[in-house]
Amino acid sequence: MVQDKTLGSRLFDIVNYTLLSLIGLVTILPFIHVIAGSFTTVTELATKQFVIIPTVWSLDAYKYIFSTNTLFRALGVSVVVTLFGTLFSMLLTALMAYGLSRKDLDGRGGIMFMVVFTMLFSGGLIPTFLVVKELGMIDSLTALVVPTAINAFNLIIMRNFFQNLPEGLEESAKIDGCNDWGILFRIVIPLSMPAIATISLFYAVTYWNTYITAILYLNDAAKWPVQVILRQIVILASGLTADTSGMEDFVRPPEQTVKMAVIVVATLPILLVYPFLQKHFAKGALLGSIKG
Amino acid sequence: MRDTAVGNATLAKTRRNSELLRRLVKNRALYLMILPGFLFFVIFKYIPMGGLVIALQDYQPYLGIMNSPWVGFKHFERLFAEPMFFTILRNTLLLFFMNLLFYFPVPIVLALMLNEVRREMFKRFIQTLVYIPHFMSWVIIVSISFVMLSMDRGIINELLVMMGFEKINFLMSNEWFRPMYVLQIVWREAGWGTIIYLAAMAAIDPGLYEAARMDGANRLRQIWHITLPSIRSVIVVLLILKIGDVLELGFEHIYLLLNSMNREVAEIFDTYVYTAGLRQGQFSFSTAVGFFKSIVGLILVMGANWLSKKVGEEGIY
Amino acid sequence: MANKRASMLLAAFTALAVTAGCGSASTGGSNEPEQPANNAGTGAQAETKTEPEAPKEPFKLSIMANLHTPEVPSDKIEKLVEEATNTELDIQWVPDGTYDEKMNASFATGTLPQATYIKNQTSLIMLRDAIRNNQFWEIGPLLEQYPNLSKLNPEVLKNTSVDGKIYALYQERPLSRQGLIYRKDWADKLGLSAPTNVDELYAMLKAFAENDPDGNGAKDTIGLTDRSDLVYGAFKSVSSWFGTPNGWGELDGKLTPEFMFPQYMETMKYIKKLHEEGLINQDFPVTSKTDQQNLLITGKAGAYIGSMGDVVSLDSKITEVNPNALLDVQNKINGPDGKFGIWAIPGYGSVVLFPKSAVKSEDELKNILAFYDKLMSPELANLIYWGVEGEHYTMEGGKVVPIEDTKITDRDVKPYQALQIGGISTIDGFFEAKHLLPAKEKAEQLIVDNNNYLIHDPTAPLDSATFTQDGVRLQELIKDATYKFMLGDIDEAGFQAAVDTWLKQGGQKIIDEFNASYAQAK
Repeated sequence: MVQDKTLGSRLFDIVNYTLLSLIGLVTILPFIHVIAGSFTTVTELATKQFVIIPTVWSLDAYKYIFSTNTLFRALGVSVVVTLFGTLFSMLLTALMAYGLSRKDLDGRGGIMFMVVFTMLFSGGLIPTFLVVKELGMIDSLTALVVPTAINAFNLIIMRNFFQNLPEGLEESAKIDGCNDWGILFRIVIPLSMPAIATISLFYAVTYWNTYITAILYLNDAAKWPVQVILRQIVILASGLTADTSGMEDFVRPPEQTVKMAVIVVATLPILLVYPFLQKHFAKGALLGSIKG
Repeated sequence: MRDTAVGNATLAKTRRNSELLRRLVKNRALYLMILPGFLFFVIFKYIPMGGLVIALQDYQPYLGIMNSPWVGFKHFERLFAEPMFFTILRNTLLLFFMNLLFYFPVPIVLALMLNEVRREMFKRFIQTLVYIPHFMSWVIIVSISFVMLSMDRGIINELLVMMGFEKINFLMSNEWFRPMYVLQIVWREAGWGTIIYLAAMAAIDPGLYEAARMDGANRLRQIWHITLPSIRSVIVVLLILKIGDVLELGFEHIYLLLNSMNREVAEIFDTYVYTAGLRQGQFSFSTAVGFFKSIVGLILVMGANWLSKKVGEEGIY
Repeated sequence: MANKRASMLLAAFTALAVTAGCGSASTGGSNEPEQPANNAGTGAQAETKTEPEAPKEPFKLSIMANLHTPEVPSDKIEKLVEEATNTELDIQWVPDGTYDEKMNASFATGTLPQATYIKNQTSLIMLRDAIRNNQFWEIGPLLEQYPNLSKLNPEVLKNTSVDGKIYALYQERPLSRQGLIYRKDWADKLGLSAPTNVDELYAMLKAFAENDPDGNGAKDTIGLTDRSDLVYGAFKSVSSWFGTPNGWGELDGKLTPEFMFPQYMETMKYIKKLHEEGLINQDFPVTSKTDQQNLLITGKAGAYIGSMGDVVSLDSKITEVNPNALLDVQNKINGPDGKFGIWAIPGYGSVVLFPKSAVKSEDELKNILAFYDKLMSPELANLIYWGVEGEHYTMEGGKVVPIEDTKITDRDVKPYQALQIGGISTIDGFFEAKHLLPAKEKAEQLIVDNNNYLIHDPTAPLDSATFTQDGVRLQELIKDATYKFMLGDIDEAGFQAAVDTWLKQGGQKIIDEFNASYAQAK
C-alpha cells in the first residue's frame, strides 16, 4: 500500500494517535480500578476511593472465589452456551439474512417488516415463558439459546452487509455453475468475514451476558451461567437489595475485593474474543484477494 | 370484444401468476434458507405477542388470559391521565434527542479515527481498550461514578475545590442528570459502537483510496469522499433502528441514577412502570405502557424508513 | 479460500461450504444446513439432561426459596434434612435480586412449586388478591394438629393473615434491631457519654464533626453516616425517637399516615439541621449501604443508625483500618418529650405459601405441613440454621461458635437458613450464638430491650385496595418531598403541598379504607 508522507498527513497522524491514546486511557481507567481492586485488601479499597496501583497486594479475593467449584462450573456453562448458541444463531441468521438480501425474492419486504415489527412489539415475559414451557425447555440449557436464536437487529445488519456486496457477484457465480447454497457458502460468506466476525461477536457477547432467562427458565442452580453468580455477588456486595427480608443479620455480604475479582474472572473470557476476531477486520484484504 | 378483453385480462393474470410461481420455484432454495428463521419469529415472537391483549384486561395471573376480565382501554386512559404523564414524555424525548445528538455520532467519528491508523498493533490495542467498558454493568459504572462525583469525598469535587470553585451537586440536581446520563453512555458504548462501522469499512475496496491519492486528495478528503459514503447505508440502518428505540433508554441505568432530587427530569416510562406497575404486580398496566411505547416506536421507524427510501437509501424493510 | 480464512468459531460454515455444492446444480444440499443446527441444539440439551429420578418411597416436595449467599448451595444439609424427614427435596434457589420477578413469572405460568417462599411483607401484600381468590391453601385450622407449628405466635400469624384467615407459615425476625452504633473512642476523647436523648445525640454529632475527634488537626470528619433508605437507614429510627408512629398512627381517633404527624416534621427538621451544618454525609439520599459503612470504617464518620447487629461486621473492618477504633451500641434515645419508642417490623421476614396449582389435595398439604413441623423441631431447626456440629460450629458453654471459614458456611449452611420457620422465641432448644465481641453481646441485649418500647404498625393486618394498587407510587411522592425538605429544596408549605397531592391522588381513599378495615377488625 502506498503511504503518503505529506506534512498534512503526518500532522493528521500525530493528532489522531494522541487523541486515540487519550480516549483509550479514559475508557480503561475504571476497569484498571476493578482489576487493581481485585488484587488488594478490603482495607485499602475502603480507605482509597479509586485504586489504580495497589500499595498492598493480596490474592485473597481470588483464593476466596476459587475455593469452591461454583465459579468454574458457571464459567463452563457459559462457555458451552456461548459456543453452541453463537454457532446456532449465526447459522440461522446468515441463512435468513442471505435469503432476504436477494432483491429478486418475492415477499422479502413483508418478511423484513415482520422482523422489524418484533423489535418494537413484544408479548412480554410471561407468554414467552409459556411457549418455552410448552416446548419442554424448562430447566434445560436449550432455553437459553433457542428462544433468543435470532436477534432482529443482527439479522438486519447482516442483511445490509450482504446487500452491499458488489452487484453481479451472483450472476457470475451462476455462470460458473453455483446454486444458491453454493453462492452463499462459497462466495458470499467468505467475502463477508468482517460482517460474520462482527455478528458472531454480538451473539457471543449476548449469550455470555445471559442472565434473566437463566433465572427464569433454569430451576437448578447448578446450571446457572456465570452472569447469574456475578450479578448475585455484585448486588449483594453493593448493598442494593433493601433490608426488606431481614436477612442481613444472617448473611454477610461479599467483600468489595471479591466483587472486583468476580467481575474480572467473568469478563476476561469474553474480552479475549475480540482481539481473536480482529484479524477478520483487516482492511480490504478479502476484496483485494478476490480481485487479484 | 368484451369476451376478448376479459379473456386477455384472465390471460394476463394467469401469466402473472405463472410468472410468480416460476419465480417461487426458482428461488425455492432461498425460501428454504429463510424458513428456519421465519419459524423462529413465529414461534418465539408472534405467538407470545398474543399476550399483548392483557393490556385490555384486568389480568390476574391465577385467572389467565382466558378468564381475566376485559376492561377495554382503561389502562391506556389511566396512563394518559397520570399526573406525571407529560413530564415523563418530555423527559423521555429530551433524553432520546440528547442521546441521538451527542452519542450517535461518536462511534462513527471514533471508527473513522481508528480506520486511519496505519499501525495495526496500535489500532488493535486501542480498539480493544475502548471496547472494554461495554462489559461493565451499569451497577458498577454508576457506583464508580457516584464515588467520583460525591459531594463528600469525590475526586471531582475535591479537584473543583482545589481549583477554587464551588462544589457541584452532580448526583442530586436536575441540571446535571442529563449530561451525566449521556456521558456515561458515551463512555460505555462508544467503543462498542465502532465495531459495526469498522466492519463496514473493512469491506471498502483499497483501490478507491489509491485512486484518490493519485488525484491528490488529502486524508480528510479521503474520509469525506470515500469512507463515509461507503458506510452510509450502515449509518442509515442504525439510525432507523435507533429511532425505533426512542422510548427505550436503558431502564437499569436510569433507575440507578434516579433519586428524589432529580426525579423531575429523570423519571421515564420504564422507571415509572417499575414503581407504579410491576412492583405491584400490575401486569396489565405495564403491558399497556409497553404497547404505547411500541406504537410510538413503530410510527417513528416507519417514518424514518419511508424517508430513507425517499432519499434513495435501502431502508430496513 | 473459505477454508483458509475459517477460524474456530466459523467452523460450521466451512463444513457447510463443502456439502453445499458448486457446479453440481442439484438441490441435494437443501437438507444439510439443518443438520448442524440440530446438532447444536441437541448438543446443548444432552449437556443438561437431568438424571431421571426413580420413584421412591419418600415424599417429594418442591420448594422455591430466596438465595442470599454468593455461593450456589451445596446439598449437604439438604441430604441430612431429607434423611431426617423421609422426603425428597427439590429446592429452586432464586437470587435475591430477582426473586419477585421469578416468583411472579412462575405464578402466572402455573409453575409455582408446592412450597413457595414469599420474599417479604410487601410481596405478601401484593398477593392478597390472589390469596382471596383461593389460589393458596388456608392452613390456619390445621396448625394446632402439629406440635411445633402450633407454637407459632398468633399475633405474628395475624399479621400475615388475609381477611382474618391464615395462609402462611412465617420466618421469625427480631421485632426491632434499630439503634445507634458510634465511635466510643472518639466520644471518650471528647469527653462525651452515650447519648440518651436527641439533643445529646446532636451534641455528639456536632462534636464529632467539629472537634477533630481523630486528632489529625484537620476538620475532615462528620457525625452521622446515612444511606438512601428512609426505612432501614437512620430516618425511621430517628422519627421513632421523636415519637412518630410506625407507618400509621391514631390521630383524634382516626388512623392517619405518619407523615401527617407533627413529629414527622420535627424529624425532618432535625435531619435538615444535621445536613445544613455538615454533620451528616451530604449525599446521604444517594449513598449506598456499602459507601455508608465505608465512611464509618475509614474513620470519616462517627455514628451509624440502623441495625445494631451490624456492629460485628463494622467492628471487624474498622479494626483493620485503625486498631484503636472502638465501637459501641446504644438504644433508648429519648425524644423531646422524654419518652423512648422504636418502630417494629410485623415479626416476620419471609413467609411460605402453598399454591393450589401445585398442592393438589388436602392430604398432600398435610404431608407438607408435617414436613415443616419436623423442620421446626429443635434438631432440624438447629441443623438448617447452624449446620453440623464439629463441621460448621462448636459448642461452648451451651452456645454456638460458628467456624472461622465463612466460605464453608456460606456454601453449606447459610442458604438453608432461608428455609427456617419460626425462630428463637418459638423453638425450644434453638441454639444461641456465643458472641465473642462485647459490643455484639450488648447489641443483642439492647435488641431484646427494644421489645419493651415497640411501636407497631397498626395497618399490618389491615387492608386497603387503593393502597395495594397505588400505595407504592403514592409513597414515592412523600419520599421525594421528605428528601427535598431535608435538603432544603422545599419548605413546610412545600411539604404540605406534597401531602395534599398525596391525599388528592388516592391517599384520602387509603385513609378511609384503612379506617373502615380498622373499625371492622376492632
